[in-house]
Amino acid sequence: MDGNMLADFNFRIIMEYLPLFLHGLGATFLISTASIFLALVVGVIACACRISQIKYLKYPAIAYIELIRSTPLLVQIYFFYFGLPTLGVRIPEIQTGILALMLNSGAYIAEIIRAGISSVDEGHIEAGISSGLNYVQRMRFIILPQALGATIPPLLGQAIVLVKDSALLSLISVAELTRCGQVLTSERFMPTEAFLTVAFFYMCIYFVLKSLADWSQKKLIFREVY
Amino acid sequence: MKLKQMLTMALAFLIALSFSGLSFANNLTDIVKRGELRVAVQSGNPPYAFIDKNGDHTGSMIEFTKGMADAMGVKLKILDFDWDGLIPALLSGKADILAADMTPTLKRSLKITFTDPWIYVQPCIFTRTDKAYQTLEDVNKSDVTVGVLLGSTGENIARTYLPNAKIKAYKGGGRMIVQALVAGHVDAGVNDDLAVLTVLSDFPPNSVRLLDKRLGQGKDPLAFAVRHEAVNLWQWINLYFQTIRSSGEYDRNIAYWMEGIDWKKDH
Repeated sequence: MDGNMLADFNFRIIMEYLPLFLHGLGATFLISTASIFLALVVGVIACACRISQIKYLKYPAIAYIELIRSTPLLVQIYFFYFGLPTLGVRIPEIQTGILALMLNSGAYIAEIIRAGISSVDEGHIEAGISSGLNYVQRMRFIILPQALGATIPPLLGQAIVLVKDSALLSLISVAELTRCGQVLTSERFMPTEAFLTVAFFYMCIYFVLKSLADWSQKKLIFREVY
Repeated sequence: MKLKQMLTMALAFLIALSFSGLSFANNLTDIVKRGELRVAVQSGNPPYAFIDKNGDHTGSMIEFTKGMADAMGVKLKILDFDWDGLIPALLSGKADILAADMTPTLKRSLKITFTDPWIYVQPCIFTRTDKAYQTLEDVNKSDVTVGVLLGSTGENIARTYLPNAKIKAYKGGGRMIVQALVAGHVDAGVNDDLAVLTVLSDFPPNSVRLLDKRLGQGKDPLAFAVRHEAVNLWQWINLYFQTIRSSGEYDRNIAYWMEGIDWKKDH
């Protein structure tokens, strides 16, 4: 057990469990992609309500955002999985996971977008008003192009957090990447091999996301913003 | 730019790898010298090891290891792990003894050394009272979902004896299975009878029942475990159990923790 770590590292086990890991990678990828997409929708809606002047939209949005941001994701997952059935709502594991990740990230995304919008210089908006642009036109031509530029880096950060948070779904028996590491650990008792492999695959997902964000920043956003 | 990033990542991976093979020494002398016996437990698991309402670690196995620490003249340090973290905790040298309701199996013994069994339990199937299952065959169907603990003997037994049922593996102790059962995420569960009976008393009465059919080869031994090289510690623990068996302490422990749930008044 002492000395050379690479000699102790069991590559054969990793190859043997590779199909399981790839399955887990696929599950993590699918759950994350679905959650990120839905969280964006939830986030945009929540943000729109949050900055709206209508109090029936504004206060529920504030309540939702604060409720989510003040409680741990794990508590939310356990609540959806074990708590909701006592209220008569039973959702399968993967859907529970997507729901929890979506609502959790949605709250953060709402705040990220709000920060982006409020970062737009007041003078630009006033200029828009004096040029005779209406609210939608101001949003479309002045506020959103600038706000999006400012929000893409934190949105990417949130997406990466979501991918890593999906590891918590292993606790409600979803067969995602982390769970595969746990299976290998519990069957062969090789945590080093298991979790380094898991870490490697998470790194791969991170790379894909990061390239996507780099690309979108170049293609979609004014360069002048930076 | 891309290449540089890749290289950085590869470097990070290698650094992580280099921390993986830490060397350590262990034997009885080290424990006495250190003045501390480190025990890995899974603490969501009454009556074996759990945290009581005062926030203290207690349970049958905790009392045994406390006795061991006293006999060695050292302090007892309890380390909490999830089920699948127990063996790695022992192997990585974080703990000296693994004290969980673990069954010695040939597969596990490839990695760790088990002491003589200190008790025998029976794996069993349990289900909600409103389910009509009576026999093993009723549960062994493709539309039935069975909850087990990841990496437990119960999981192996469920996969062996209920090959047609859908298996869902949970982490975090026997309570999780019962919780999933009560919430309707599984239709039945497999765990050892003592753990099930203890957990059941925390749930509404008559919500869950045991099926008459016992599983496996009937008796399922539980044992403590140490690392392969800790031969002297392994022999010492076996001797410890011989000693407390003749002194009556063993019987007192079993009578208190295993033969009823009266201990719930104290803890």
